[in-house]
Amino acid sequence: MRRTARGIAVVATAVLALAAAACGKDTPEAPKNNPADLKADLTWWDTSDPANEGPAFKELIAKFNTTYPNVKINYQSVPFGEAQNKFKTAAAAKSGAPDILRAEVAWVPEFASLGYLYNLDGSALLADESDFFPTPMSSNKFDGKTFGVPQVTDSLALLYNKKIFTDAGIAEAPKTWADVKTAAAAIKAKTGKDGLFINPGGYFLLPFIYGEGGDLVDTAGKKIVVNSAENVAGIKVAQDLVKSGAAVKPPAADGYGTMMTLFKEQKVAMIINGPWEVNNVRSATTFGGIENLGIAPVPAGSKKAGAPVGGHNYVLYSGMSQDKAAAAVEFVKFMSSAESQAFLADKLGVLPTRKSAYEIASVKSNPIISAFGPVIATASARPWIPEGGQFFGPLDAMATETLIQGKDAKTSLDAVAQKYLNEVVKNYTLS
Amino acid sequence: MSTVTATPPTTTSPASRSHRPAKRPSWLRRSWDRHWYAWAMVAPVVVVLSVLIIYPLVRGVFLSFTNLTEANQLAEICTKSITGSESCKANPEAWHMVGFDNYVDVLSGKVGQFWQWLGVTLIWTIGCVVFHYTIGLGLAVMLNRPMWGRGVYRVLLILPWAVPAFVSAFAWKFMFNEKFGLFNALLTKVGLDPVEWFSDWKTSLLTAILTNIWLGVPFMMVALLGGMQTIPTEQYEAAEIDGASPWQRFVSITLPGLRSVSMTVILLGTIWTFNMFPVIFLVTQGQPAGQTEILVTGSFRAAFEGIRNYSLASTYGVLILSILLVFSVFYRRMLRKQGEVW
Amino acid sequence: MSETGTSTLREATIHRMPSAAVRNNRPRSKRKPLASLGLHGTLVLASLIAIFPIVWVLAASFKPKEWIQSTELTLVKEPTLANYDYVLTQTNFPSWVFNSVLVAACTMFFGILMSATAGYALSRFNFPGRRQLMLVFLVTQMFPVAILIVPIYQIMATFGLINTHASLIIAYLTIAVPFCAWMLKGYFDSIPTSLDEAASIDGCGPFMTFWKVIMPLARPGIAVTAFYTFLTAWGELAYASAFIQTDDRFTLSYGMRQFVPQFNPQWEYLTAAAVLVTVPAAVVFLYVQRHLVSGLTAGGTKG
Repeated sequence: MRRTARGIAVVATAVLALAAAACGKDTPEAPKNNPADLKADLTWWDTSDPANEGPAFKELIAKFNTTYPNVKINYQSVPFGEAQNKFKTAAAAKSGAPDILRAEVAWVPEFASLGYLYNLDGSALLADESDFFPTPMSSNKFDGKTFGVPQVTDSLALLYNKKIFTDAGIAEAPKTWADVKTAAAAIKAKTGKDGLFINPGGYFLLPFIYGEGGDLVDTAGKKIVVNSAENVAGIKVAQDLVKSGAAVKPPAADGYGTMMTLFKEQKVAMIINGPWEVNNVRSATTFGGIENLGIAPVPAGSKKAGAPVGGHNYVLYSGMSQDKAAAAVEFVKFMSSAESQAFLADKLGVLPTRKSAYEIASVKSNPIISAFGPVIATASARPWIPEGGQFFGPLDAMATETLIQGKDAKTSLDAVAQKYLNEVVKNYTLS
Repeated sequence: MSTVTATPPTTTSPASRSHRPAKRPSWLRRSWDRHWYAWAMVAPVVVVLSVLIIYPLVRGVFLSFTNLTEANQLAEICTKSITGSESCKANPEAWHMVGFDNYVDVLSGKVGQFWQWLGVTLIWTIGCVVFHYTIGLGLAVMLNRPMWGRGVYRVLLILPWAVPAFVSAFAWKFMFNEKFGLFNALLTKVGLDPVEWFSDWKTSLLTAILTNIWLGVPFMMVALLGGMQTIPTEQYEAAEIDGASPWQRFVSITLPGLRSVSMTVILLGTIWTFNMFPVIFLVTQGQPAGQTEILVTGSFRAAFEGIRNYSLASTYGVLILSILLVFSVFYRRMLRKQGEVW
Repeated sequence: MSETGTSTLREATIHRMPSAAVRNNRPRSKRKPLASLGLHGTLVLASLIAIFPIVWVLAASFKPKEWIQSTELTLVKEPTLANYDYVLTQTNFPSWVFNSVLVAACTMFFGILMSATAGYALSRFNFPGRRQLMLVFLVTQMFPVAILIVPIYQIMATFGLINTHASLIIAYLTIAVPFCAWMLKGYFDSIPTSLDEAASIDGCGPFMTFWKVIMPLARPGIAVTAFYTFLTAWGELAYASAFIQTDDRFTLSYGMRQFVPQFNPQWEYLTAAAVLVTVPAAVVFLYVQRHLVSGLTAGGTKG
């Protein structure tokens, strides 16, 4: 790849002046005296599950409108899978993008690098920034600026079926992958059921990689480390679980759906999944209620137990008129407040991102939230670079190759590294 | 104008154009007078296609010689602050021309798996189109005859078309599900081993091809049924008197009578199938490990996941276009031997 | 081949337009019992394959969520109407249907108008650019839609058409018209040019000839292309998901796609909605299929 960067230094003042003239407001903060004075028409794209989670968000909007009756929120549910492209297409065309977006953590650096998001530094939203957990907050930072506030956080955990554990005589959740193997053998012997299901996707293999102390890339040293010895060892652990029968051999297509069906029907005792499925497991008639659901941190590898941090942030589209900024800030402030987060935690079992939210009684007494507490505390930040979203395509292929087709872990990871170099982070080096 | 409308419309015979009396003001003027109504008739289509397809297509050809991506498309990136200020800085890596670099990268296999995807695409396209056409033709011939229950058969056979294609694709995917699917359940029931459909690229591609055959047959059948209506019934009756067997009638009357329709549906069917995105995307998802990606799905994933690489996408687009253009020209040559096609 | 009394019948069909009744009495329809069995057997089998996945959709639509994807394979399990109730009362389904009918009908109307005129011009007039135009029609189908969506979005945005049904209708025309123009050119080619000439002598201009003489004769062809255009717009997803942004303007397929996100898909609602779409469609098909194969054929007018 030739990289003759054309260094045309463009003076930005003209554009700046134009933008200022177009917006014509120097004071984005509305007078604080009367909330009813705040008038705006805002569109919010929500990417949460429309059936399970959507209603709770609509309830929150109604609450917001009791204080701010003249801020109209046009709630639009957009499927998570297509929102990223849809937002970028609309933002680039400067037509059709929403004012507020619920963005997945990996999207924020990407959108920010493209200039599609408002820099929130200096706004009321970040006044109490230290109240947010640092790891979820870190996903909003790009180039030293902050572009969003965390809505929910999540991470992978070991979800298990308590009844099957009791039947198999297992007293506590396995702490290492070796423990998982032993437990699976006991479960198979005593109950005839399968022990573990590993979804063959790149994201779901990260605990194996982190467990050996590995990572995908080293952003500080600009190095691709996805094919390191640690990662090979980690993937081999996963391969061994499948080969030995401790884990079900997953199908190459619809692995995720298969995992959830088997788990909800109590055909498999353990899965690696996140809090977003808790509500789903709760409502499944076949599972035996939320009391039957055990939650533990992901098992450790030879170095540590580690799971990737996930979650979603609120971001503001930079094409939104400055006139609306005050109202948008108030809305996001309300939605990300400790009270609102506690409300959502209560309704949906999703994890708050504010420390103060965990002090609220209803959250404190929520068994699901407290079970996920230690999971979140140890969750690892992912490389927050604009290319972050492109890491998973090659990893998914690697997962299928190693877990299903029995390909050698080293060969497969080397191919991933080569792909990262050729297509994703071209200015990095192979380690 | 009135003189023009009084002229009888020319026929398709290409010779008629040149045999005109010799009092000619200018070529353009003459052309306009003779052909303005033909041009008027095609103008709306031409306008819509030019604006919506031709312009992006030409732009796509240009982009394929650049390194333009979402990240470097702007000469400067501006960050707007919620406090009202805006700071812009020059994009240090703004896009530039790269000549044939994209084509080299793609064709040499440095980026993506062009040749593997092309191979899968060819199997996919040929498999689908051959079965679409033969099954569609067979059913159309049967349904074209008078018989008891013809209307009911017709409705049942075109019903798959009424269900949005993505729903049907999901339904087939469900039936091929390795753990909970109907096909594996049936196999188990008759004492066979369940098949891990998506673990091997051959069976995985087979599921997609079967799904697409099912989806596409109603269209072929209806198009060919329509074509059969233009075949004069007298021809059949004359052949019958001559003692022609049903097969002979089919070969000597039906097939030639369907030539124009067949050519259109095979040509466009091939082009569409080659570029058919949703079935592969939904049914196999490229599994296992991207081995059943066809060119469109593979290039979409390569170029549009994360930071969108418009130049790479365009390069694939131009390559796909070139392949199909070569195919169309050869196809036309082949048919030309049997007479005027277009 | 039992051919008794064919000659009189043949004369009859040659000298007048073959009516449906005449065609039905043709000796060709007298099949041997074995051939008849084979024919019906094949068609029954084909019909079964055709409706098989639809039956699965139907069965699933009456099941509670847990039993659709399940280790236990069932046809009926705890049947319920709750899925239908949800789709009809808790979603914008009725307006999606309306939107889809509107978009599909407009696409059909404009599509037929544009492709019939273009097809007629291609069939009858040897104007400069004719062959190139036919090739251009093909070329427009060759560049993958997935790659075109972003630039087309920008063009639509320029015209202020984002989140309007007009954007969809225009986009669908680009898919449907090239094919339909090609198809209709073929149909028009099979209509003898002597008819045009006769009309022209009677004082009809080319537009009048096209409208009054050719269009009625090309009815089966028009029906096929109309059907195709309508269904293309009806089931399309890619453009709809790019251009349409608010729930009340969704088309059916895009609305239904909302039921099955990447995680936690609501199969029960998707299947119920699919059934609600398919049943009226089947009724319409039953009516339309007569027109696809009408008694009045283009070839028959030759006599």
